[in-house]
Amino acid sequence: MKINLDTPVVENREQRLGTIIAWDNGSATNLLKESSTICSGCGANNGERLCETKGTFTQGSVCSEMMVECQAGNIRDAVLIQHSPIGCGAGQVIYNSIYRNGLAMRKLPVQNIRMISTNLQESDMVFGGIAKLEQSIRDAWDRHKPNAIFIGTSCATGIIGDDVDSAAAKLEEELKIPVIPLHCEGFKSKHWSTGFDAVQHGLLRQIVRKNPKKQKDLVNVINLWGTDVFTPMLAELGLRVNFVVDMATVDELAQMSEAAATIGFCHTLSSYLAAGLEQEFGVPEIKSPQPYGFDGTDAWLRELARVTHTEEKAEVYIAKEHARVAPRLAELKKLLKGKKGYVATGSSYAHGLISVLRELGVEVNGSIVFHHDPIYDSQDPFSDTPDASKNSLGFMVNNSGDVPNFSVSNRQQYQFYGLLKRVNPDFILVRHNGLAPLASRMGIPAAPLGDEHHALGYQGILNLGETILDILAHKKFHIDIAAHTKLPYKQWWLDQKDPFVLAKEKI
Amino acid sequence: MGDIKSDDKKLEIAQEETVKTNSIEQVRYVCSLGAMHSASAIPGVIPITHCGPGCADKQYMNLAFYNGFQGGGYGGGSVVPSTNSSEKEVIFGGAERLTELIESTVKILDADLFVVVTGCISDLVGDDVESVVSDFQKQGVPIVVAETGGFRGNNFTGHELITKAIIDQYVGEYDGLKEKGTVNVWSLLPYHNTFWRGDLTEIKRILQGIGLKVNILFGHESEGVSEWKNIPKAQFNLVLSPWLGLQTAEHLKNKYDQPYLHVPIIPIGGMETSAFLRNVVDFAGLDVDKAEAFIQAEEKIYYNYLGDFSDFYAEYWWGLPAKFAIIGDSAYNIALTKFLVNQLGLVPGKQIVTENPPEQYRDAIRKLYQNVAQDVSTEVEFEEDSYTIHEKIRNTDYGHKPPIIFGTTWERDLAKELKTAIVEVGFPASYEVVISRAYIGYRGALTLLEKIYTTTVSASA
Repeated sequence: MKINLDTPVVENREQRLGTIIAWDNGSATNLLKESSTICSGCGANNGERLCETKGTFTQGSVCSEMMVECQAGNIRDAVLIQHSPIGCGAGQVIYNSIYRNGLAMRKLPVQNIRMISTNLQESDMVFGGIAKLEQSIRDAWDRHKPNAIFIGTSCATGIIGDDVDSAAAKLEEELKIPVIPLHCEGFKSKHWSTGFDAVQHGLLRQIVRKNPKKQKDLVNVINLWGTDVFTPMLAELGLRVNFVVDMATVDELAQMSEAAATIGFCHTLSSYLAAGLEQEFGVPEIKSPQPYGFDGTDAWLRELARVTHTEEKAEVYIAKEHARVAPRLAELKKLLKGKKGYVATGSSYAHGLISVLRELGVEVNGSIVFHHDPIYDSQDPFSDTPDASKNSLGFMVNNSGDVPNFSVSNRQQYQFYGLLKRVNPDFILVRHNGLAPLASRMGIPAAPLGDEHHALGYQGILNLGETILDILAHKKFHIDIAAHTKLPYKQWWLDQKDPFVLAKEKI
Repeated sequence: MGDIKSDDKKLEIAQEETVKTNSIEQVRYVCSLGAMHSASAIPGVIPITHCGPGCADKQYMNLAFYNGFQGGGYGGGSVVPSTNSSEKEVIFGGAERLTELIESTVKILDADLFVVVTGCISDLVGDDVESVVSDFQKQGVPIVVAETGGFRGNNFTGHELITKAIIDQYVGEYDGLKEKGTVNVWSLLPYHNTFWRGDLTEIKRILQGIGLKVNILFGHESEGVSEWKNIPKAQFNLVLSPWLGLQTAEHLKNKYDQPYLHVPIIPIGGMETSAFLRNVVDFAGLDVDKAEAFIQAEEKIYYNYLGDFSDFYAEYWWGLPAKFAIIGDSAYNIALTKFLVNQLGLVPGKQIVTENPPEQYRDAIRKLYQNVAQDVSTEVEFEEDSYTIHEKIRNTDYGHKPPIIFGTTWERDLAKELKTAIVEVGFPASYEVVISRAYIGYRGALTLLEKIYTTTVSASA
């Protein structure tokens, strides 16, 4: 399906990709198989795609608007307006902390985020909030003279039907800077990753330069706040890095259309933007396995080299890195022998991490992903089908082997208990909050991968090994706390063998 | 009075520079739904949220995690059930979805009481949540509901909604005898105040010391719902905050014919704490000798330690702060002002109250600052938008050196800009790890001194 930039509202992931947030039908291989077939009749996703498990009990998830905050809210010379009651503004706290720490890690000047809540009240729900939106846009301009102003919508403004697009267009003309509406009402998508797409949709429509002057050594890197492992790596190939979206400037975002290629650390995050840049501006997306483990990183570098015509340099780098990491890797493998790991992260990131764990000799017989995209946005260049070379689940299964207990669960802590009990891992790898605290109370240490680049590339294999050794040592803490904590779940639930049982019984 | 006049002039200039609008940059409170934390702050109580998919997590991560890294406790954080409302609930209503969520929650989660709270979606669509919940109440499920849609107010007003819901729907009617010497305490806002756990522990300790039986109601020192069931039996309510809890106390006065004592300034340090305790002793008619024995013993300990500290305070070579600025909720703002002025002899530079107290309480709060000491009178401003707050702090003349700032993470860069120290004392405190630390009473005051002067001294070299 082509990306449609004509409308200001991004199509959500369920419609574009057939995304599901719950599935528990065996192994990774099964999920791969089911992903390629038509729904067998439950009617999920309009009967067109992969079936989804649905239950009555759910714990708090994450919404699209939060992903808008963590991307559009972290652009260094822009302002994000949150058109919402004050509660949505709560997110300013977490994304400020992450932003500041990210800036420090990247050696950029540390500053507070610039996000403004329109602070809507009860009367605005009746009479509309557009006047307040316009006021906040003007405040943003008067205070910061930003190079762009983004507007994130909310459940409340979506329901009352504020015409955010017209207000944005009016102020864009008045202020002579891009004013970009991002439609990200939480209730409009069951998975938060639609929020990434909402931001990227707005960037493609209103920020990216329409008449690019090509910079043939520039590579877009779609990432979050991770440490800069890309600059030294790409320098080996004679390429320069353009980090987007977090902590970039508006100009760095505008020049995305001028790059020679687009890469990322995770297809979930980069899918929409990378596909859009290719479709609209001819910037090739590197369609390959993700850069995790030797096989993935080799294939990824070779595809990047092919597209940027740097094959010789890439081969030198690949050989050099293999040799460099080999001795420590051999030691780490000895130290980690017999350990069992469990991965609980976003979809394609998990596929990458599992490959790295297996390079380290760690056994992985269980994993959950918070959602599953059966396909990504990019098209196969030779046909009208999704691009198979980006199938990260397929690559994982085929290259590093099946994962017998593979589930999709939208960060649901109550299910995580039973899922961990199935496989009793020595440790877990996790991104996003909420699951590591439960694992801890079960005596299992977690490596929370705040720095998303930690396990990436050849050095990432070593990094992850070292981190696992560190957190295995923490086990003393977790065993002690487990012995002194009562979980908030009833014994009946803790005794359940099937964490998805409620989805299967009809209440 | 001369000083106040010149302050007034400065105030006028500052207000000309920044016009107040609806905008809030860098939030200092969250929405009513954030008060779901007042439910999970009661041992054994779990909130059930009927709202969009991000609301519960958003309130938790910001109020309880990146604010002192307090943790969600037994039934908060990622445990909290949520309807994660979708387009379907927006179009067709969410009552059915809430019903099935409550049914399954009761099966899975082990709680003494469930508190249903709602978000913008339910309140805008007009779900009849009261009727949904009352069906469960009729079946004997311990459950109450409060409508806390984000546009209705902030987490302070949400706190009183939730408190009232538990009292009216769970504690219920009572016309039996009162227990002399028992008090219900309504004080700091759980989780929003970064140090609430330690502070409530200290409040309970000193009130017990003077002979009271204390229903502290929130935090690890609370006995949970059994304590809440005992609320109507208490001799009186103590509202220990500038305004939060007054509505609850008024309600309890009407409902259970229970008097209340309002002490607007939370005591910090020997002087203030002893005066506070004597005030309570007097109001409750407690045994004066017994109470005095406790006060004397506590003062002895406090002043022994303060004496040790006085060597440093008297002759530290490299300069100590002389003025201070406070940006924060009225509860800590006035409490700290009182302590810093009267115990340490610091000079107030700027006081900004940030939680948007209801208009009817503002004059009373202003008066507290005007009478901060016999010879010190100062002004307070009310402002919620951090851009405006920072402009006010910048545009104040503090004399020969900048004030030490008591504020939040939002003031970290401002402190660097003004070349001064910052102590993060309120939401959000993203660079503090807080477990059981208290800053109030006798013991908390000493911890606070350690924090202030470790911050000052460690910046020396």
